Amino acid sequence: MRAVFLICIAIAPCSVLGLWPIPRNLQTGTTLVKLASTFNIKVDIDNPPQDLLDAVSQANTYIQTDKLQRLVVGRGANDSAALGQAPTLPGLTLSLLTSDAPESANCYRSCTAYWDPQRRILSHSPKRWNVCHSDCKFHSRVVQRLDDLRIALAPISIVNDIPAFPYRGFMLDTARNFFPVADIKRTLDAMSWVKINMFHWHVVDSQSFPLDIPAFPEIASKGAYSSSEIYSAADVQDIVSYAGARGIDVLVEIDTPGHTAVIASSHPEHIACSQASPWTDFANEPPAGQLRLASAATTNFTAQLISSIAKTLPSSLFSTGGDELNTNCYAEDAQTQADLAKSGRTLEQALNVFTQATHKSLTDLGKTPVVWEEMVLEHTVTLPKDTVVMVWISSQHASSVAAKNFRIVHAPSDYFYLDCGAGEWLGNNPSGNSWCDPFKTWQKSYTFDPLASLTTAQRSLVLGGQQLLWTEQSSPENVDSIVWPRAASSAEVISLIFWTGATLPDGTARNVASALPRLHDLRYRMVRRGVRAIALQPHFCVLRPGVCDLRS
Amino acid sequence: MLVNAMMLPLVVLSVLLAVTPTIAVWPVPRQYSTGTTPLRLSPSFSIKLSGIDHAPRDLVDAVARTSSYLRKDKLQALVPDRGASSAKVIRGAKSLSSLTVSLTTKGKVRSISEEAIEDVESRVEGYTLTIPADGSAASLRANSTLGLFRGLTTFGQLWYDWDGTTYTLEAPFDIVDSPAYPYRGLMLDTARNYFPVADIKRTLDAMSWVKINTLHWHVVDSQSFPLVVPGFTELSKNGAYSASQVYTPGDVKEIVQYAAARGIDVMAEIDTPGHTSIIAKSHPEHIACFEASPWTQFANEPPAGQLRLASEATTNFTTSLLKAAASMFPSTLFSTGGDELNANCYDKDAATQADLASQKKTLEQALDTFTQVTHSGLREVGKRAVVWEEMVIEHDVTLANDTIALVWISSEHVAAVAQKGHKLIHAASDFFYLDCGGGGWVGQNVLGNSWCDPFKTWQKSYSFNPTANLTEEQSKLVLGGQHLLWTEQSGPANLDPVVWPRAASSAELFWSGPGGDVGEALPRLHDLSFRFVQRGVNAIPLQPTWCALHPGMCDLHA
Repeated sequence: MRAVFLICIAIAPCSVLGLWPIPRNLQTGTTLVKLASTFNIKVDIDNPPQDLLDAVSQANTYIQTDKLQRLVVGRGANDSAALGQAPTLPGLTLSLLTSDAPESANCYRSCTAYWDPQRRILSHSPKRWNVCHSDCKFHSRVVQRLDDLRIALAPISIVNDIPAFPYRGFMLDTARNFFPVADIKRTLDAMSWVKINMFHWHVVDSQSFPLDIPAFPEIASKGAYSSSEIYSAADVQDIVSYAGARGIDVLVEIDTPGHTAVIASSHPEHIACSQASPWTDFANEPPAGQLRLASAATTNFTAQLISSIAKTLPSSLFSTGGDELNTNCYAEDAQTQADLAKSGRTLEQALNVFTQATHKSLTDLGKTPVVWEEMVLEHTVTLPKDTVVMVWISSQHASSVAAKNFRIVHAPSDYFYLDCGAGEWLGNNPSGNSWCDPFKTWQKSYTFDPLASLTTAQRSLVLGGQQLLWTEQSSPENVDSIVWPRAASSAEVISLIFWTGATLPDGTARNVASALPRLHDLRYRMVRRGVRAIALQPHFCVLRPGVCDLRS
Repeated sequence: MLVNAMMLPLVVLSVLLAVTPTIAVWPVPRQYSTGTTPLRLSPSFSIKLSGIDHAPRDLVDAVARTSSYLRKDKLQALVPDRGASSAKVIRGAKSLSSLTVSLTTKGKVRSISEEAIEDVESRVEGYTLTIPADGSAASLRANSTLGLFRGLTTFGQLWYDWDGTTYTLEAPFDIVDSPAYPYRGLMLDTARNYFPVADIKRTLDAMSWVKINTLHWHVVDSQSFPLVVPGFTELSKNGAYSASQVYTPGDVKEIVQYAAARGIDVMAEIDTPGHTSIIAKSHPEHIACFEASPWTQFANEPPAGQLRLASEATTNFTTSLLKAAASMFPSTLFSTGGDELNANCYDKDAATQADLASQKKTLEQALDTFTQVTHSGLREVGKRAVVWEEMVIEHDVTLANDTIALVWISSEHVAAVAQKGHKLIHAASDFFYLDCGGGGWVGQNVLGNSWCDPFKTWQKSYSFNPTANLTEEQSKLVLGGQHLLWTEQSGPANLDPVVWPRAASSAELFWSGPGGDVGEALPRLHDLSFRFVQRGVNAIPLQPTWCALHPGMCDLHA
């Protein structure tokens, strides 16, 4: 038996659609439609790629198993009669708008859906559901949209639904605490449901090195928390292909030259101020330890390390980090001082040499480096012009990065850090709280303006943005509940259309009030699908949109 | 340390291996000594009840659960190599083949469940646990089966796993333990969002692991009424979120029994006269300012709605309801709430104004009558009333001398409550509210954060002083305290990570007594969190694993 899906009835106003992020253009009607018991998604494409067929199959599964009731008082019980008389939707046809597959990520083409009451089928305008497609793994995003359709009002029309920005990401730190592959895959699934297309994988850090890098297996064998807490080369490929099939590119980061203390477990010769005490003098977090950037041997080692892992990854992006460099660590390191004296360089000059060498290892592979903002704003380092810069310290810094003419990914701690507000994790500090208090609510993230304080000319530098989870106090036990549904907030913000003003398809301004019911819908659906997204309000409020607003 | 000459070679070895210096029991026993001798559990290890006539079923079950934890925990020691370098020592260790469990008192043996629900001030929870280093039988003794249960809980936390061997490096153990305070609780709100019985049971298990002895069950509130009360089934029928989101009498019995078998009393609360909006779904005649707008003028939270306390019919209805609900729970304690009364709600309610006029009472006088009637109804069914602090310090209400007050608004209010001579339970929002710091939940309030920001860290709760600003005489009024979870933004999806391990912080504070040092406590709390995860409770990591494996190195001034 196939579940019956209720869409809506005219007497119970359903301005709420469970679409997240909301399409760029959306028109809906007021006709109740249910899926036929034989409902079928037909792929009208020659030689469809396997991952598209898999995505269709996944969409069919969700349709059968979600069993999400409408978030209204009564959960839809009053609609039974109308539902009995509702027309049925027999199927959905997927086809490609063009057989010319565009290269690269600029493959966003017009996607149109139209409910044809005579033929009782979703069609494009005039007759077909058009699929934008390219060879660049993004076809599954089309199917993601299909999956949303069943909760819309017929007729529905989604035209030219393209994201405002190409980079919509989520960052996970798997070094402070380890996350098994299954948790990462579940997270990738959830990301795909909100059309996030970049997984920024902060895979290693000073605390542990869970990544098995070909040619450098000793780093993980000595630096992982345990032999079972390692991502093998096969695990990495598994994650990358799982992500790819869900329209997600994996941006791996090996943070350098800071955040590398754990490398000393296998290569003490490359690490300055290893576990130096008091750590506050040598690092932003314990344990202290940074790559000896002035050493030619360490520079070669680092370049080979980066090259060795980057070449196994399909993404064109790779991050070398570059945040929170501690100069005192080097000032107190005799070997670094000797290296600097010998080469006649300042620390900044040595950093420049180091960075150019590590970045060359990436550009030699055709990769584009990604760095944290300090590499642009705090250091005098020569970077490739196409380097992507992540703004994290403050949203206020975006314009300074833009002034240097680098492309930007928004990742500001004052809007997008998911760990903030959950208390101090350092020991022996009873009255401490998180450094980036308070908690960043979904509302706060939702009001982020990606183009704030940028000139018109600078706007094209914005690639997009992401929410981030640093995992000092996170693990498989709470990853879902910390990340979801909050990380969906940036997924929608980054998708909306800022160059024409922050407006929704119906012309109203983007606002948390109209977003909340849709976000509730998303959250409840995530729970149905096994992702432990948290309640944003008492269930009472969820069933009564607006009743629990501050001024209602 | 208890060390004798024969053990010396092993002692030296253990020191060289940098053995964790502190007992990994949470809450830490009030008196204990440990050694440095390795000891492992024999593959045939068993727990034997000795001289206990007709051993109660729940004690036998508790022994079976303890044995199961010993087999299945498989927690590796929190040291950098997780125990690998101790492998040889573990292999060569003496093995312990049994733990003998006995009562030190004669007479009729009562079950854990019976002892757990006794009046909070007369429970006996102490025990003595001795584990020799030479492999001879360990011994657990207590004056009560409840005490034996606490001792079994301690025994289950002493062991680590390496390669299939369950071991300790710290034998012998000598533990004499009993709680500093009789009330150690956890409050769960199941009205704002619903929690299935399975989630409550899992929480009860976790509570028992840290010797918490009271579930304060804030079962209903303005948002929903999930409790099926015999004689008042219309309340849940119309007020639960759905027909499946209710607690039937059968569910309640199951929860109460599950709790009692784990040494936990269930103190239920039907909050009155405020926080009752949902009752209007079946009894509109009893509710003033139902869903009145703007809610901010009529309630602290939406939806607005309070019992018409000046109405005799409503007072009688409430009394009958409380008696019927209280009779579902064997505990001697029952909470009638009494927080956040909104006077404006009654000012604007014509029925209440008419009632007050006809009785020539002020609102406060009517509240006094309402409270006395409802409380006397509870006394008739053998219950001792528990109220939120406002009933003691904001209203002129006559309360029975034995009424217990929950201090929640601020820890600064403790002294004022104590001055009124009532026994009190610490539940201060500035130390023990688990929901604080999780962001604003009210809609259309973009920059809002939780009203009780910031987040209450385990360190903050741990450093609470239960007798601050109290005289020695007033200090005797302190029954204990609890963490609390209001569930505006919680549900089964995040229950475990919001509650654990933080709620263990007050569990130790009120068992072991105040004055603990967070630096000493953290490694033990890590140990507890890791053990919780092994047992299927999603406790969060308090630090990166690296820090958990390197005690002290992630301290602020390390």
